[in-house]
Amino acid sequence: MTTMAIADQVQGLRCRSCGVLQPRDERYVCERCLGAVEPEYDLPSLRASDLRSRIEQGPRTIWRYAPLLPCAEPAQGLQVGWTPLVPAPHLGKAIGVDDLWLKDDSRNPSLSFKDRPVALATARALELGLDTIACASTGNLAGAVAAAAARAGLRAYVFVPETTEASKIAAAAWYGATVVRVRGNYDRVNRLCGSLADDLGWGFVNFTLRPYYAEGSKTLLFEIAEQLGWRLPDHVIVPVGSGALLTRTATALAQLIGTGLVPDAPCRISAAQPAGCAPVTDAVQDGWRAVAAVRSPETIARSLAIGAPADGDASVSVVRRSGGAAASVSDEEIVDACALLALTEGVLVEPAGGVVVATARSLARRDVFGRGERVVLYLTGNGHKGFPLEPELRETIDADPDAFGSAYPEAAR
Amino acid sequence: MSLTVRIPAPLRARAGGARIVQLEATSLAELRRALAEGYPDLGAAVLDGQAFASAISVFVDGEDVRFLPEDADLRNAHLVELLPAMSGG
Repeated sequence: MTTMAIADQVQGLRCRSCGVLQPRDERYVCERCLGAVEPEYDLPSLRASDLRSRIEQGPRTIWRYAPLLPCAEPAQGLQVGWTPLVPAPHLGKAIGVDDLWLKDDSRNPSLSFKDRPVALATARALELGLDTIACASTGNLAGAVAAAAARAGLRAYVFVPETTEASKIAAAAWYGATVVRVRGNYDRVNRLCGSLADDLGWGFVNFTLRPYYAEGSKTLLFEIAEQLGWRLPDHVIVPVGSGALLTRTATALAQLIGTGLVPDAPCRISAAQPAGCAPVTDAVQDGWRAVAAVRSPETIARSLAIGAPADGDASVSVVRRSGGAAASVSDEEIVDACALLALTEGVLVEPAGGVVVATARSLARRDVFGRGERVVLYLTGNGHKGFPLEPELRETIDADPDAFGSAYPEAAR
Repeated sequence: MSLTVRIPAPLRARAGGARIVQLEATSLAELRRALAEGYPDLGAAVLDGQAFASAISVFVDGEDVRFLPEDADLRNAHLVELLPAMSGG
């Protein structure tokens, strides 16, 4: 498998903790302080008019933003990104938000936003000449890694908690990945992968390829801004698992403004978590304190059940700096919100999406949104992957009109 | 009590290239002291004053030390894992 030239707009990897700029080699954490390192771009060299034209002429995938990504597009990859941004007036009316929009990122190739970071991690794995990619996953990432590996001709090992939804495990297996089910919760799986990552010589997308992987999450806000006519929304509500999506939303915001792609305007970034695993939103609501890890996450929103989020404190900082807010919502509110979204807008999401909708409702009740404020909800996973609860259905009937009439008397009106 | 301490690749240069080192400690405070005294370069990276640095995750026999009391008894413990603090998937 070949790739195009290495992205030349990246000047190196800068440590988010100590600030040192380091070479773009195989390192995945700061060699000095172990802090997270992030690609640094030569933004001043990217003139807004040229950049906008280049993007608009690009493919209808995340790779249209290649000048702001750390890897070049591989020769063969999945069609990731450029997902719909749609107004949601009925849901907005139901939850009390004037100008509500949905970024429906459940419509990626493996039905979650994880296809975005995995596309970058896979591109980096190919640059490095690796033959295997791997991950610790709550389910969605496993599918994304498995699909990307299949497309790229790589081997995949995906590690998941034993409680992961059967449908997500099955999908990863059908893509040809080796699915390793591990006793215990996600944080245990994560520890195992952290121990394995250094010595197997594989590309663990959320460990050894993390600086590249995380950059894929920027493309959600890039797309939202472009789809709004190169304007920022007033407010985005982001589900928080590890916090990588939320923190890279802030990075994307800075890069959109820094390159002049959008006018400099405030865009508030708010965090959504389930009450059963809310280390970040609890920290925000407890007066911006440090994040305290959750030992035993218990939530229907399993894709957000990460008790020790790597970007937790950074997420709290982003929410605060952007003027955002946070809420945590119960499992009952999550299920109700999923149902409301499906009923009002025809979009079926996994519980993480319900967390975002329920959070928007909670923030609306707290009068967090100004009048006419444009609010975008990040919907990151698809309900068709298998919703954890069965809907209430009536008894099966015989193929007989009278049987229908008596079982469904309300139908004739 | 002798503890086996696993060193992640980015930190091995700070431990003379070792993947594993043995340290004597019966408490978290002793573990930190043993790291600082036995492997000063390693200690400088993983310690922040009297605590483990936030960029590192430390597990004792699989248990995250953030969930252990400071006076936890390590006399029957065996394995300490040091990992860069990363998670999310």
